[in-house]
Amino acid sequence: MSGVLVIAEQRRGELRPVSLELISAAQGLQGAEGGTVTVAILANSPHLFLDSLKLAGVDEIVTVKVAAAEFDPDTFETAVGALIEARKPGVVLVAHSVDSFGYAAALAAKLKLGFATDVFKAEYIDGTLVATRGGYGQKVNVEVDFPGRDTVLLAIRANVYKPPDQPGDPRISEFAAPATASRSGGRDFIELSSNDDVDMTAAEFILTIGRGIGEETNVAQFKELADAVGATLGCSRPIADAGWLPKSRQVGQSGKTASSCKLYIAMGVSGAIQHLAGMKHVSTIVAVNSDAGASIFNVAKYGVVGDIFEIAEELRRLF
Amino acid sequence: MSRTDAVTRILFEAFPTAEVRLFYALGYTAIGIFCWGVYVQIRKYRRGTALALEGSLWSRAGDMVGKVLSHRTVNRRDHAAGGAHRLIFYGFVLLFLGTATITLQYDILEPLFGIRFWQGQFYLIFSLVLDIAGIALLVGLLYMMYRRGWMKLPKLDYARTDRALGDPDFLRPEYRREDWAFLWTLVIIGCTGFLLEAARLVWLHVQPQAWDTRWWSPVGAAVAEALEAVGLTAHGGGVLRLSLWWFHGLLALTFIALIPFTKVKHIFTSAASLMVRDPKAAQRLTRIPATQQTPGVAKITDFTWKQLLNLDACTKCGRCHEACPARAVGAPLSPRDVILSLREFANAALESGSLPPEAELGVHGKAPGQVAMETLWSCRTCMACVEICPVAVEHVPIIVQMRRKLVEDGAMDPLLTKTLQTIHKTGNSFGESKRKRGSWSKALPFKVKDARKEPVDLLWFVGDYASFDPRNQKVTQTFATLLHEAGVDFGILYDGESNAGNDVRRVGEEGLYEVLAESNIASLAGATFKSIVTTDPHSYNTILNEYPDFGGKYPIQHYTSLLKQLFTDGKLKVTRPLTLKTTFHDPCHLGRFNKGYEAPRDVLKLLGCELIDMKRCRDNSFCCGAGGGRIWIPDPVGAEKPAQNRMREAAAIPGLEVYVVSCPKDLTMFEDALKTTGNEGKFVVKELIELVREAVSAPQTLAVPA
Amino acid sequence: MKILIAVKQVAALDEDFEIREDGRDVEEEFLIRDLNEWDDYSLEEAVKIKEASSEPVEVVVMSVAPEEADEVLRKCLAKGADRAIRIWDDGLEGSDPIAIARVLAAAAKVEAPDMLFAGVQSSDQTFASTGIATAAFLGWPHAAVVSSLDYSPGAKSAVFRRELEGGLLQEVEIQCPAVLTIQLGINTPRYASLRSIKQAAAKPVEVRTFTDLNLSAGDVGESGSHSRIRRMYIPDKGQAQLIEGDAAAKARRLAEIIREFKGDAA
Repeated sequence: MSGVLVIAEQRRGELRPVSLELISAAQGLQGAEGGTVTVAILANSPHLFLDSLKLAGVDEIVTVKVAAAEFDPDTFETAVGALIEARKPGVVLVAHSVDSFGYAAALAAKLKLGFATDVFKAEYIDGTLVATRGGYGQKVNVEVDFPGRDTVLLAIRANVYKPPDQPGDPRISEFAAPATASRSGGRDFIELSSNDDVDMTAAEFILTIGRGIGEETNVAQFKELADAVGATLGCSRPIADAGWLPKSRQVGQSGKTASSCKLYIAMGVSGAIQHLAGMKHVSTIVAVNSDAGASIFNVAKYGVVGDIFEIAEELRRLF
Repeated sequence: MSRTDAVTRILFEAFPTAEVRLFYALGYTAIGIFCWGVYVQIRKYRRGTALALEGSLWSRAGDMVGKVLSHRTVNRRDHAAGGAHRLIFYGFVLLFLGTATITLQYDILEPLFGIRFWQGQFYLIFSLVLDIAGIALLVGLLYMMYRRGWMKLPKLDYARTDRALGDPDFLRPEYRREDWAFLWTLVIIGCTGFLLEAARLVWLHVQPQAWDTRWWSPVGAAVAEALEAVGLTAHGGGVLRLSLWWFHGLLALTFIALIPFTKVKHIFTSAASLMVRDPKAAQRLTRIPATQQTPGVAKITDFTWKQLLNLDACTKCGRCHEACPARAVGAPLSPRDVILSLREFANAALESGSLPPEAELGVHGKAPGQVAMETLWSCRTCMACVEICPVAVEHVPIIVQMRRKLVEDGAMDPLLTKTLQTIHKTGNSFGESKRKRGSWSKALPFKVKDARKEPVDLLWFVGDYASFDPRNQKVTQTFATLLHEAGVDFGILYDGESNAGNDVRRVGEEGLYEVLAESNIASLAGATFKSIVTTDPHSYNTILNEYPDFGGKYPIQHYTSLLKQLFTDGKLKVTRPLTLKTTFHDPCHLGRFNKGYEAPRDVLKLLGCELIDMKRCRDNSFCCGAGGGRIWIPDPVGAEKPAQNRMREAAAIPGLEVYVVSCPKDLTMFEDALKTTGNEGKFVVKELIELVREAVSAPQTLAVPA
Repeated sequence: MKILIAVKQVAALDEDFEIREDGRDVEEEFLIRDLNEWDDYSLEEAVKIKEASSEPVEVVVMSVAPEEADEVLRKCLAKGADRAIRIWDDGLEGSDPIAIARVLAAAAKVEAPDMLFAGVQSSDQTFASTGIATAAFLGWPHAAVVSSLDYSPGAKSAVFRRELEGGLLQEVEIQCPAVLTIQLGINTPRYASLRSIKQAAAKPVEVRTFTDLNLSAGDVGESGSHSRIRRMYIPDKGQAQLIEGDAAAKARRLAEIIREFKGDAA
């Protein structure tokens, strides 16, 4: 078994960026004897995505036409399963995403594949495929391997690998997936709209508050501070779930990504992995937290260990 | 017969027998109605749950009689009302005893044994005393009328804080009507009594027995003179006397008959309530009985007979309403209205022949008579209400019992829910690992002994806030240093200590309290020590008063007494007297709960500070607002907090330099309030320990932590 | 009607934890155990369905875990579950999510529920796989990250929303019986008072071994797992430059950083 099979993701007619990150992750995993990197795109009209996938590092693009307009687990399990049986790759890469949550483990169970999720590093060490992921709430790193498994399925964490920046000229082929009787079907997509028309993805300077602010009555103080320093106020999931700020202000995996942000100040945010997913790429991160052991300090450029209210007050005075 | 021997008043003089009989019939009817009313009330109390009283009934009765006769509970914080009520009470009691004396002779001793004593000198003195009693009664009543009608006291304002204008039970005019009916009835009875006296004298002018001794009834005599002056004849007097006699008599009999149905029943219920009081009502809450299915109070019949009696004892004096810190900042809680609501409910539900169906007995909710969640959660369990109530109503246990039900149902603020889960998981309200409980001691230049591993003289129970809150940790470190300098052999329990549970219990999470108490008691059982000291008044209260119920009885003091002892014994010496202008905030759980007012004041004096007490001090100290779990419940946006209210009171002291506290929660709340009330820079908030540190210089060899 | 819920007792790391001698896990004494946060939500969802239904619905919680997990199973009983089942045996030691799923599926076949819920992931190992792998072994329709659910017990289909990246939701219809993994925030889990937890301690936890379920040693434990832990280690912490001083000094430095940034941006 050799070569890497990458399963790209698309939604609502757009290729999800993580698919390109997978291509970078695939480099070095081809294994012995000239294994290739093949990217599979499953869609109703897969040819629409070909151009975006013609990148350096891709040896072949396989288009798989499926009946379902959007993702559904049965379709993917049948199609990807068939592709794996046909191509027998050494490694299969999917994104560690909501879509793959819905089918990857089932596929691994059925086809007896080696399996690890939320992997942020994959490499061969002395001929053995080793994947590194987090453990105990991301407080430790865990290396796993897959003894006796010819094909290994890895779900790769988003925002770790950088997409390839050079164009490529891969071979294009088609794969006829067997028909699927899907037992579930996606209907409408719903965007959560709110009166608050802030666009976190466009903000360059964000001040985010987390569980550390304690009570809802304290939100006002930080809103004032954000206004005073000229930042857009954001929040982590618990604040939005509690309704203290609209969901549109939530930064994180199931919230918004701070894509345009250059300066990110996190106050009272512990740094749970889901939140980091939305902001750890920001070039300057300042973490303010009373807990010196908070995970947020691992991704921050500047750290302030102290009482967030005192510091917020002092900072407010200076603007 | 000599004049003085024979002088007496002939009862029913010139009454036809039929009228006398009618009077007796009416009298017995009135007594019958009275008895029926009493029966209905007692039946109502018996519909509550059982409760055994501690202590002997005799000592309780003696205590009650002492309180009633001295009126000291009515006198507190309102000497005018206390004085006026004394007049009413003694006046009424004497007048009643007077009538009873007459009945004793007329209906019992004379017909059965031929004994007559109500005559001669006795009769004359009797008449004088009763006249004075009548005056006392009227003066007291008139003051009360002035008080209710003109003084517009806030505590007598019946507008509810938990209802809005337009709600049916917002103003409760029926209370006002009853108050005035009560006052007027007694006034009229009193006045007609005097008029009656006067009318009889005019009627019997020709009888020297009556007329010559008239000045033994000075008021009656004066009025008689006045009546004659305006032309009342003897015959007219007779007619007036007869009609007044019946009017006065019927009014009095009606009054008596209606006692159990009106506010007047407080004569009995208040005294009874004083007799069955629990002197440690709010300091020591009670466990859930093993036989009880659901915890706390869900239905009106879940209250004990004593609590139902409490509801009837309330006279709407408003002292609790005035003292309550939640009410003072506009929260939807008035202890008075909790009691009155429940009273209305109890009366409606429990006074009929049969009990209504269970579904109608629920006391939680927003319907009239029920108590809303928001009301119950506003309570700080500071016990200002319980402490000041003249008739020993125990509001705090009632509120906690109702909270137990809310907790069981999960009807709590989400932050409170989370905090309880955190306390269960980590043993502290901060969510910090147990292992970090003693981390504050790492900064010290000496090692604090681990009381789990070696014996110590003094075991220091530190408490959550003192262990984990950064500001309070500084105080904790300072105290440790002082103990060390004083050569005290002390240690702490490190990870073996959990939240003492005082506030968890008062939130109503009794199950979690049991877990905490049992855990702490197990830790203490494994340690060897002579006594316990604590820097946290909440821990002090629960370990002192409540742990014994769980098998943990220890000698324990609050640090203020220990510091005083150390100074007295010379182990700590003041080397730099502080001449600061200070005020002291009595923490609820040390002061009002456990009468610990003096030690901190003595220490301040020893330090050389000038102490200016705030108006609301000692037993009337105004709670910082953090108790009863409120520190784990967000305050409504925009509302004043009790700590801010208190800061404004302190700020009014001219030249104040230091606001002194001796409780970790007080320190947190007041430092915050100092800033939010704009008083930062005018004076500072300091823990007493910090002042002691400033006044006692460290020995050369020891470095004081920054 | 029956709803089966797979729950897990997760472990969080205490202060100053240490890696075990064999380098493959953390020392036991530093593990603080509790019910997985996601399972609170899936249990609550099931209990809500039970309370809203006019037909009787049995809510059964199940966990593949050793005896110490009885504590969280009892907590579930206090929160409204009717029965609790625990499956364990030394041979299950070292099982990865797929091996666990094999056991769960075997037990689920015996219970024959109308729906099976699991949490999206566990807060300790965050595999996000066990529920869906169980569905594969059962051969049932499945979906992940359910953030709201509309289901009547015994119905042939259910409609739910799944929570996608970036705050997007998708409405999906699925055939039932199905396996759904439940996301945080789908409801507000009820509070279980200590008293109710103590009372639940009186209720039994049914214990099974994997042999009761007709599984062999090769299906479970390390041999039945699809991955193996080689090494666990504490990662190097990121280098955050710590700003020192009192609050005012820290604020001044922060203000500097902000002004610098704005100067660049201007």
